[in-house]
Amino acid sequence: MNFNFLHKAPSFLPPKDKTNLLFSYLKEKYNNSPDPWGLDLDLCRKVFEMTWPLYRHYFNVKVHGVENVQDHPYMVVSNHTGQIPLDGLMIACAFMWEVYPPRILRGMVERFVPKIPIFGTLIAQGGSILGDRQNCNYLLERGESIMVFPEGVRGIAKSTKDFYKLQSFTRGFFRQALVSQIDILPIAVVGAEDTFPLVYHPKKLMKMLGISALPLMPFPLPLPSPIDIYIGKPYKIPTDLSIDAPEKEINKHVYKIENEIKEMISDGLKNKRTLLKRD
Amino acid sequence: MNDIKNYKTVLIIGIAGALAQITARLMLKEFPWLKIIGIDSRVISNIESNDNLELISFKYTRGNFENLFRDKYFDLVIHLGRISHTSSNPNKIIAERLDLNLMGSQRILDLSLHFNVKKIIVLSTFHVYGAINDNPVFLKEDAILRASIKYPELRDVVEMDQICTNWMWKNQNSISTIVLRPCNIIGAQVKNAMSNYLTYKYAPVPIDFNPIFQFIHEFDMANIIIQCADKVPIGIYNVAPDDFISIREAFKHLGVKGIPVSMLMLGALVSLVKKSGRSLPDYLIDYLKYSCLIDNSELKKYLGDKFYRFSVKESLDQLKLV
Repeated sequence: MNFNFLHKAPSFLPPKDKTNLLFSYLKEKYNNSPDPWGLDLDLCRKVFEMTWPLYRHYFNVKVHGVENVQDHPYMVVSNHTGQIPLDGLMIACAFMWEVYPPRILRGMVERFVPKIPIFGTLIAQGGSILGDRQNCNYLLERGESIMVFPEGVRGIAKSTKDFYKLQSFTRGFFRQALVSQIDILPIAVVGAEDTFPLVYHPKKLMKMLGISALPLMPFPLPLPSPIDIYIGKPYKIPTDLSIDAPEKEINKHVYKIENEIKEMISDGLKNKRTLLKRD
Repeated sequence: MNDIKNYKTVLIIGIAGALAQITARLMLKEFPWLKIIGIDSRVISNIESNDNLELISFKYTRGNFENLFRDKYFDLVIHLGRISHTSSNPNKIIAERLDLNLMGSQRILDLSLHFNVKKIIVLSTFHVYGAINDNPVFLKEDAILRASIKYPELRDVVEMDQICTNWMWKNQNSISTIVLRPCNIIGAQVKNAMSNYLTYKYAPVPIDFNPIFQFIHEFDMANIIIQCADKVPIGIYNVAPDDFISIREAFKHLGVKGIPVSMLMLGALVSLVKKSGRSLPDYLIDYLKYSCLIDNSELKKYLGDKFYRFSVKESLDQLKLV
């Protein structure tokens, strides 16, 4: 019996040689010493290996603009889409598998997350940190790249009619970048909204319950809608702007970054792949 | 800054403790002309007096203390006599603990000022910051001391620290005061809650949390106390080496299996134990859940980068000798 067709089946593990190369680089970078936030490279490797089928096959992620990423730390700023933070996971995978040298993007989590048994520890071991200015400063000083979603929950918890409408950015990320003088790397994620195509957030009920998201949707699991990640050119942080500059000075720069991401989303939507047209 | 070369007499409070004894020995080795008087209200053992080291065991009363300061003309006072909140049975000696940690410290500070002591070094602890879920990594010395907000049993520890720091700034023109907030001190001689926990065969090892810890070796700590007498100006300083380790990794390194336990279950267990009349401090559980890492950059400004002799794993190795 001919089993050749099995070779054509998608691999559920990333290429071993590549994984070894990337993680030997990371081990050297972290000098085999523990990270004060609890990053565990062995666990990270397992997570990235386990999420490979999702990244490569299920969501068929394509990354555009890899050439814009140089070998230095960035504050990665992205739109937030898709009801659950799949976009963060896919961006993190992209910076592991597509960018060389690879990096573990450090995500910021809410203050209650470290309190959650097992999960709090797991996400810390996976590289996420408590969203605190001091943590952020230390990370950037240590040459790490961080990932922020300045739209916050408003970005991820959108009803179908608001898909791909960028919500206004909060300003904290830009002041943080000013403190650290780290360039901002704008990112647009297109396609993640279609993983949950029909969503409704009952705003009145949400207000009554005091919660910021209540997605009502027919599909409990994300559909395998293809995702495109667009990496823009780094936004140079001005050296002549004080960290205590008035809000209107900060706004000018934040609007520019917002517009750049909007343009990337708009261009991405023109070429958006669909469930039926995945390539 | 004062120069230890001009000092003649040193008072070490809490000489029954291992850290005080190591400090006294190291100090005499490095500065053999010094005359050290070690006092403690506990029975003093494991150390012998000699020409340069006088050991006095007495109760810390105002009269006793005053006479000592009056007779000996101390240049330097090292206060290592804080009663640990972990080793005490709160029901029995809580009054004594409060008296020593708060009133006793105030008395020591006032007498030092009155009798023209040149420098005073106080050993506080990093516990004053509290193990809180939203602690940022590397708390600086100006971080809010939140331990007592959540845990009333740590109130004396936080208040002692604040008494000393307020007093320090108030009297900065008259006396040089240093408050040290070290991370967990471990070693073959120091017997504190953390040393006991790490070496206990049936230690509960968290399975649902994995906080990061800083450990300083007892000799490094004693050395820093001595260097503070010489090289470090007035101020509050966190004391911790550069490296750190997760609690699970620490147990793995020590070869102690312990008992894997969920911290949620341990919390319930502690409540049960409390109902049975025994006392277990709640806050210790939080130190096994959340990291409380301190920033060491302030002290490094004066002592340099390569000051610590023992790495965290070498410090843990010493515990294997216990």
